[in-house]
Amino acid sequence: MTETLFDNGPFQYSDIQPLPISSGDKDELCQILYDDEYKEVMGITRALLEKSEFSERALHATSQAIQLVPAFYTMWNYRFQIVRKLYGADPAKLNDELDWLDQFTLNNPKNYQIWSYRQALLKLHPSPQFLRELPILQAMLDEDTKNYHVWSYRRSCVFFFQNFDHELQFASDLITRDVYNNSAWCHRMFVLKSQFKPTPPTELLKTEIHYTKTQIELAPQNISSWNYLQGLYQEFLDNKFDAEVVDFALTFTSGAFDSLEKPSQILSSYALEFLAHVYGQSKDTSDKACRAYRALSEIYDPIRKNFWNFKIRSLTT
Amino acid sequence: MKPPAPLNDERFVAKKHQKFLERHLHILPSKFQDNEPNKLAIVSYALLGLSILGVDISKKYKGSTEYLKKHYQEVENEIGYVAGFVPSISTHVKGVPSLSLTSTLFGIWSLACLVNADRLFEIIDREKVCQFVAQCQVSDNGLFVSSFDVTPPKPLHYSSIDPTDLRHTYVAIAILYLMGCRTSTDFSRYISLDGVLEFIKQQACPQGGFGQYFEPHAGFTSCALSILKLINDRWDILPSSFYEVTFQWLLQRQISSDGPMTLMTNNEGFDPEDHGGFQGRENKFADTCYGFWCLNSLEILGPQTSARFEGHDFLVDYLLNNTQNKLLGGFAKNDEDDPDLYHTFLGLAALATISGDFDGTTFLPQNISRAMKLNRL
Repeated sequence: MTETLFDNGPFQYSDIQPLPISSGDKDELCQILYDDEYKEVMGITRALLEKSEFSERALHATSQAIQLVPAFYTMWNYRFQIVRKLYGADPAKLNDELDWLDQFTLNNPKNYQIWSYRQALLKLHPSPQFLRELPILQAMLDEDTKNYHVWSYRRSCVFFFQNFDHELQFASDLITRDVYNNSAWCHRMFVLKSQFKPTPPTELLKTEIHYTKTQIELAPQNISSWNYLQGLYQEFLDNKFDAEVVDFALTFTSGAFDSLEKPSQILSSYALEFLAHVYGQSKDTSDKACRAYRALSEIYDPIRKNFWNFKIRSLTT
Repeated sequence: MKPPAPLNDERFVAKKHQKFLERHLHILPSKFQDNEPNKLAIVSYALLGLSILGVDISKKYKGSTEYLKKHYQEVENEIGYVAGFVPSISTHVKGVPSLSLTSTLFGIWSLACLVNADRLFEIIDREKVCQFVAQCQVSDNGLFVSSFDVTPPKPLHYSSIDPTDLRHTYVAIAILYLMGCRTSTDFSRYISLDGVLEFIKQQACPQGGFGQYFEPHAGFTSCALSILKLINDRWDILPSSFYEVTFQWLLQRQISSDGPMTLMTNNEGFDPEDHGGFQGRENKFADTCYGFWCLNSLEILGPQTSARFEGHDFLVDYLLNNTQNKLLGGFAKNDEDDPDLYHTFLGLAALATISGDFDGTTFLPQNISRAMKLNRL
C-alpha cells in the first residue's frame, strides 16, 4: 500500500490485515459501488472489531468509520465499549469523548445515534454537568430551532439533572425569536407538568396566562400559543374557563357570530375554535358553539368542513 | 361511497415511479455507501412500492430470495437461540452479534413481497425471531433497543447506546404480529406488554397525539396507534375522549391556506402552497411522508371515534401536483427537494391507503397483509 486513504493519526496499523468487504453476490439487490477510502477504512476498523481490540488506535479507527457511515450502529457500539473499557469512570477522558461527540454532532445534525450515545456517556460519567451540555444544545438549536431530537435531549437532561431553573426563560428566548416555534411552546408545558406535582403554583399559572395572551396579541393566528393557553386551563384549572379569557378570545373573532351572509375577515380561526370549545361545555352556550363551528365550516376553515359539521351534530344531539 | 382511486388518476406517472424504484434495486453509486446499514430498508421500500404499482415482483426478483436469506442469522444465547436479520452481509463481522430489530422487520417485509407465507416460515424460525424481540426489551419497562452490545458476545446484552423510542416499540410489536401474535396473551408470552402500554400512555400529549415529553409528533403518533391496533384488545388504556382529541389533532395537521391563514405572513414555517398536505407538527411545512403517517393514524382511529376524515382529495392534489416528480418519477419531501426513495414509498403508500390497497398497521399492501394475517401462532 503506497498511498493510504486511512488517516493513521499518531497510530500504527501496519500489523492489521484489513477485512475485505464481500460484494457482488448473484442476485444481489442494491449493490453499492464502494470507493477506495470506504473499503480501506471499513477493512481496518472491522478487522480490529473482529479481534476485539480495545485500544486508542481502535477508538481512532471507529471515528473514521462513523464519519463515513454515521448510521453504522455496530461501530457506535464498538466505540462505546472501547470508551468503557479504556476510560471507565475517568471524567477527563469522558469529557474528551464528549468533545469529540460535540464536533461530530455539529457536522451530522440529523443523525439518529448521537443523542442516545450521549445519554449513555452521561450515565457512565462519574460527575456529569448540565452546564457542559448547554453549549452544544444551544448551537444545535441555533442551527434548527425546531429540531425534535435536540429538544427531546434537552428535556431528558433537565430530567436527568433535575434542573428546571432556566427552562421557562429558555423557552421565552426561543419564542421571542420565533413566536411560531411549537417546540418552545411545548417546552413550557413540559416544565409545568414535570416540575410541579400535582399543579404549578397559582401565581405561576397567572403569569403564564398573561404571557401567552401577550404573545397571542403579537400573532393571533398561531396554533401553538392557543394550544398552550387551552392546555393551561385543561391541565391545571379543571377546564374552567373564566370570562376574562373568553372576552380575550372574542377580540380576535369580530363578526364571526353575526350573520354569515357577509362574512368579515377575522384575526384568528384558532380563537374561534377556542371559543367553540369553551361554549360547547355548557348547554346555555351551546348555541354560540354551534355558530362558531358553522363559521369555521363555511368560511374560516372549510378544509375541515366535515369535522366542524360533526361537532355541530354532536352538540345538537 | 366509492373510494377515490388516485392510483388511476391521469396525473399519476406510474411507469416513471416504477423506473425510479427499480433503479434503487440495481447497482448504486458510491454516494449510497453511507446507507449500508439501511440496505434492507432500501430493498423493502423499493419492493413494497413496486407491489403497490402492481408489478409482478415475486417473479421478477425471485432469485433475490436467496440473497435476502443470507441476512437471516441465528445466534446462540445462554437461553437458546435468537434469530433475525443483519443489516448488511457485505460489512458483517463474524462472531459479532449484529442482528438488528429494524433490519429484521425490513427483511420480513422484503421476503413477504417475494415468497408466500409458508415459504417465508421455512426460511425464518418464528419462535427464534420472537425470542430475539424478547431479548431487545430493556428489562422491566416498555422500551426496546434494536441491537445487542458488540461485546461481550456472551451472554447477549441489549445495546447500551440504542435510542429507545416508539419506533423501536412499533418494530417489536409489528414483528411479533407478523410472526402470529394476535392478542395480549400472545404478545405477553414474549414481552412485558404492561411495560409497553405504560410507555404508550406516558407519550400521550395534552393537545392529542403522541410524542416525547408532551410534544406530539405525527410519526410517533402513527407508531403508537399502530401498536394499539396490532394488540387490538387494549384500547382501554386511554379514555375515549383522548382518541377524539387525537383525531382532531391529526385533522389539524392538514394544512389550509384559507381564512385567517393568509394573515400568517410572518410565519417562517408556513407556505400557502402546502394546502392539502400534512405536516408532522404544529407550525411546520407539509411533507409527503406525513401524508401517510397522519392518514394511517386517521384510518386506525376511525372505528374509535364517530368523526370522519374527508380531506382525501386535497391530499391527493397536494401529492400529485406538488411533490410528485413528473419528469424523473418518485416523490420528494416537498415541492422543492429532489425525489428520494423514502418519500416515494410513503407517497405511494398514502395514495394506496386512500384507495384501500394498503394496510398501514402492518405496513404492507393489502394482498400481502391479508395473506400474512392468516398465520396465527
